[in-house]
Amino acid sequence: MEDIKVVSNRISDTVGRLGVDKAQFSVAQSETREFNVEGGEFSLFRTLFDNELALTVYHQNKKGSAVTNKLDEASLEAAVEGALASAESAIADEAYDIAPGQGEMCFHDSGYEPDLDRFFERTRELLEDIGKRHPKIMVKQVTAAHEKSHSIYRNTNGTQCEVFRGSYTVSLMFAGHEGDKTTSFFGAGVRVDDLDTRFIELGMIEEQLKDAEAQLETIPFEGKFEGTIVLTPDSLGELLQSILENFAGDPVILEKTSLWLNKLNEKVADERLTISLRPSDERIVNKSHITGDGFQEEDYDIIRNGVLRSFMLSLYVANKTGLERAKNSSSAVVVEGGQTPYKEMIQGIKKGIIVGRFSGGQPGTNGEFSGVAKNSFLVEDGQITGAVSEVMISGNLADMLLNLRDISKETVADGASVLPYVAFDKIVISGK
Amino acid sequence: MLDDLISGKEKLFSEGVHTELRAQENRSRSVSLIQGNLTGNVRAEVMGVSARVYKNGVYGFSSMAEYTPSAAEAVLQAATENAAFMDRHIQKGKGALPGIPAGSMPCKKEIMDTEQKRYIEFCKEVDAYIVDKYPKLSSRSVILSADSMEKLIYTSDGYNGHIASPRSYIYVFLNTESVSGAPLELFKALGGSGNFGDRFTDPALLFPEIDKLYERLMQKREGVYPEAGYKTVVLGGILSGMLAHEAVGHTVEADLVLGGSVAGPNLGKQVASELVSLVDYAHTALGKPAPLPVYLDDEGTPAEDVVLIRDGILTGYMNSRETAEQFGVKPQGNARAWGFSDEPLIRMRNTAVLPGKDKLEDIIASVDDGYYLIDTNNGQADLTGEFMFGVCMGYEIKNGKLARPILDTTISGVAFDMLKTVDMVSDEMTWSSSGYCGKKQPMPVGMGGPALRCKVMIGGR
Repeated sequence: MEDIKVVSNRISDTVGRLGVDKAQFSVAQSETREFNVEGGEFSLFRTLFDNELALTVYHQNKKGSAVTNKLDEASLEAAVEGALASAESAIADEAYDIAPGQGEMCFHDSGYEPDLDRFFERTRELLEDIGKRHPKIMVKQVTAAHEKSHSIYRNTNGTQCEVFRGSYTVSLMFAGHEGDKTTSFFGAGVRVDDLDTRFIELGMIEEQLKDAEAQLETIPFEGKFEGTIVLTPDSLGELLQSILENFAGDPVILEKTSLWLNKLNEKVADERLTISLRPSDERIVNKSHITGDGFQEEDYDIIRNGVLRSFMLSLYVANKTGLERAKNSSSAVVVEGGQTPYKEMIQGIKKGIIVGRFSGGQPGTNGEFSGVAKNSFLVEDGQITGAVSEVMISGNLADMLLNLRDISKETVADGASVLPYVAFDKIVISGK
Repeated sequence: MLDDLISGKEKLFSEGVHTELRAQENRSRSVSLIQGNLTGNVRAEVMGVSARVYKNGVYGFSSMAEYTPSAAEAVLQAATENAAFMDRHIQKGKGALPGIPAGSMPCKKEIMDTEQKRYIEFCKEVDAYIVDKYPKLSSRSVILSADSMEKLIYTSDGYNGHIASPRSYIYVFLNTESVSGAPLELFKALGGSGNFGDRFTDPALLFPEIDKLYERLMQKREGVYPEAGYKTVVLGGILSGMLAHEAVGHTVEADLVLGGSVAGPNLGKQVASELVSLVDYAHTALGKPAPLPVYLDDEGTPAEDVVLIRDGILTGYMNSRETAEQFGVKPQGNARAWGFSDEPLIRMRNTAVLPGKDKLEDIIASVDDGYYLIDTNNGQADLTGEFMFGVCMGYEIKNGKLARPILDTTISGVAFDMLKTVDMVSDEMTWSSSGYCGKKQPMPVGMGGPALRCKVMIGGR
C-alpha cells in the first residue's frame, strides 16, 4: 500500500509541474470488515482494502475531474493529466472556485480501530435478542460493518485536512412472519463509534421490531379524509431529504425552479420548526470536517423558528447566484424535540395515521407528493386502534411544513441524524 | 481492455472449497449541463481484484484496490482465512456446492473509450437545440452517463470468462410551469447497451425524441389531478416493465424468498391472469438481443432465461448456486456483483412481461372511465409484492378515448392481486435499461413489457 502522504505530495508536485491554475483533491485509503447475515444466519465475512483519489483541476476558468483508485506514480500522473484534459475541453465559467486557505488540520475518530471479536459477538447477540424478544420476526438481512479510512484533502490555496475516520454500522432488514402471513419489510440501522450498548437498544431498532410484529394483523384502510399524519423519525428523515433537495439544493436554485427561491428570511414553516445541519453535534458519528469546496465545516440552520435562513449551496452555485454558500456539506440533519411527550401528541389526534415508512413517487420541484404509508397505524380519538394496510397519503411538502401540528419531546439519534416524531395536519389520507 | 494478470492463480485455490477469483474494472464518464452550465465533468476508473471462498455453508471474501498477481494471491489467502473464521464460529456443517459444467467464455464485446471533449461537444449540441427551439422552457438539463463493467472470472468449478458490458445514455430534463404556476418536469433517457460511439453518432438523431418530450410537457401544463381510488387503467410498457422488475422480480429472487417473500408459499399457484407470463431473460429476448445482455455470472454459471410466471402460474425463482441447491434446481446465472469489492448477489438481468395479442388502441377503446399511464420516475415494492410507482405522464380515458393529461401521481397495489385483474395485453414491447437496481449494491438491469389493462389504486388530491 502506498503512503497517502507521499501520494498527496506527488499529486501536488504534478499539479504544480503542469501549471494548473487551481486544484483540489482528496486521497484516501480505507479498510472495511463486514459480517453478513442472510435469512437469519451468518453467511459471509468480507475484508476490503480500497483506495480513492478524487481530483478536480481549474484551468483558465474551466473545470475537469478525475476519480481513480490506482495510486501508483504513473496512474496519479495520468489522473492529473486526464482531469486537465477534461478541463481544457470544458466551458469557461468564472464562478468555478475553491476556498481560500484554511490552514492545516487533523482529526482522529475514537472508533478508528475496530474490536473485531467484540463486534462479531455484539452482532450475534443482536440476532439472539431478536429471537428471544421478538419471535415473530424473520430477519432477512443484517450487514454489520466497521469502516475506517485515512484521508488527506489538499488544495492549491494551502489547505490540508487529514482525517482518521472509523465507526461501526449495523443495518437490518426484517419482516413480521407467522404462518403464511408476512408483513412489509422494515429497515433499521445505526452508526456508533463504540460497542458499549447492545445493538437492539440503539436508535429505533427495538421500536421497529415491535411495529413489525404488530403489522401481522392489519385491516385494509377504507375511505378518504383530510387528517393528521405522524411521521416517525425514520419517515420524517426520508421526507426531509426530499424537502431539502427540492427546495434548497444546488440544481433547483441554479435552475430557479425552487418554490423557496425568493423566500430567504421569510417564513416557510411553522415557527416551532428548526432544521439544522450540525456535523459537530456530539450525537453525530463520522463527522465531516471539510466541504467539497475546501471550507472547514461549521454548523448552520436551514430553517430557524420557521424562517428560511440558508440554502444548501456549493461555492459554484453561490457564485453564480450571489447567494450565500452552505457552511457544511454534511447530511447531519438535527431537528430538536418540542414540548409535547409523544404519548400526549397521539392523545390529541382526532383521526389520523402514524407513518412508519413513506413509499412514494419521488416528489418533484412543485413539492406534490403521493404514496403509500407503509407500516402505518390508525389513530382514532387519541388512541392507536390498530395497524392498517393499503393507505395512501398525498399533499404538498411546502404546505405541509406550514401545517405542522406538533413536535414530540423525544428524539431519536441513529448516529447520522437526530429527529423527533412530528405531526402534520391537512394531509389527504385514502384507502380502497 | 484488461490484460489477464490472474491466469494460473487457480493452482492456489484450496482443496475442498469452492473459490472464485475476479479482476474487474468499472469506468464511468459523465457530463452535466444544467441551464447550459457545466456542473459536472468527470472521468472515473475503479479497478481491483477479489476472491470469494465457500466452505461448509459460509463465505469468506476479500478485495484489494490493486490489479497485480501479488494482490490476487493476497485476496485468495484473506478470503480463505475469512471463510475459516466464519466456519469456526458458525459451524453450519454444510457440504460442498453441487458441481456445474466447466468451460470458458470468451469476451463478446470491446469497451471503447471516447475523449471527454466529444462528450461535452455532443451535450452542448443537444443543449443548443433545446435552447434554440424551445426558448420558453423555465429550465433544461442534459446529462450524459457512459459506464462499463469488465471482468475476468476464474472459478474452481464452473466457467471461466472475460466479460465486458458498456452502456451509454443521455438524459434530457425539461422544466416548465403549469397554468397555475407550479414547476413541472419531464425527462427522457436515450441510449442503451453499447459504447458511446456506437449509440450516439449524431445529436440530430435525438431531436425527434426531444420534440416528443416537449410536446408532452406542454400537454402536462394543462394537466389535472386524477381522481383518487381503485380504477381501471392501461399501464404502458414502461410501467409494466417496472411492475415485472419491482413488484414481481424482487419477490422471486431466491434470497428474498428465503427472507419470507410472498412468492415462497405461491410456487406452482395461480398468481396472475392466464394472459400473464413473465421471464428474466439472459441475453436474447423474443429473438432480439436483450437490452443489457448477460452471458456469464460471477459464480461461473452460463446465463440462461428464467421463466418466472407461465400463463399466470408462478413457476420458478432466480438463484445463486447456493440457493439453487436449497431449492433443488440448477443455477441459471443470476449471481452478479457490481464492483470489484462486491460479492455476487442474486440479481435480475432483463425482466419482462411477455406481449399478448391485443392492439393498444383497442385496449384504450375498451375503457369507459380510467387512465392511460405512460411513464414513471420512481418505483418501489416490498416482500409482500405491495408496490408503489410514481407516474409522471398519463392521460384520462373517457368513453374509450384519451382525454386530459394528468399531473404527477402514484399508483399502488399488491402484485399477485393486481396481476389477476389483467384482462388485455398488447402485442408491443417497450424496454428500458437506464438507471440502476438497488439491492445492497447498484446493478444495471433491463426491464420491459407490453401495455396491460388492469385495476390499481391511483392517488390524487
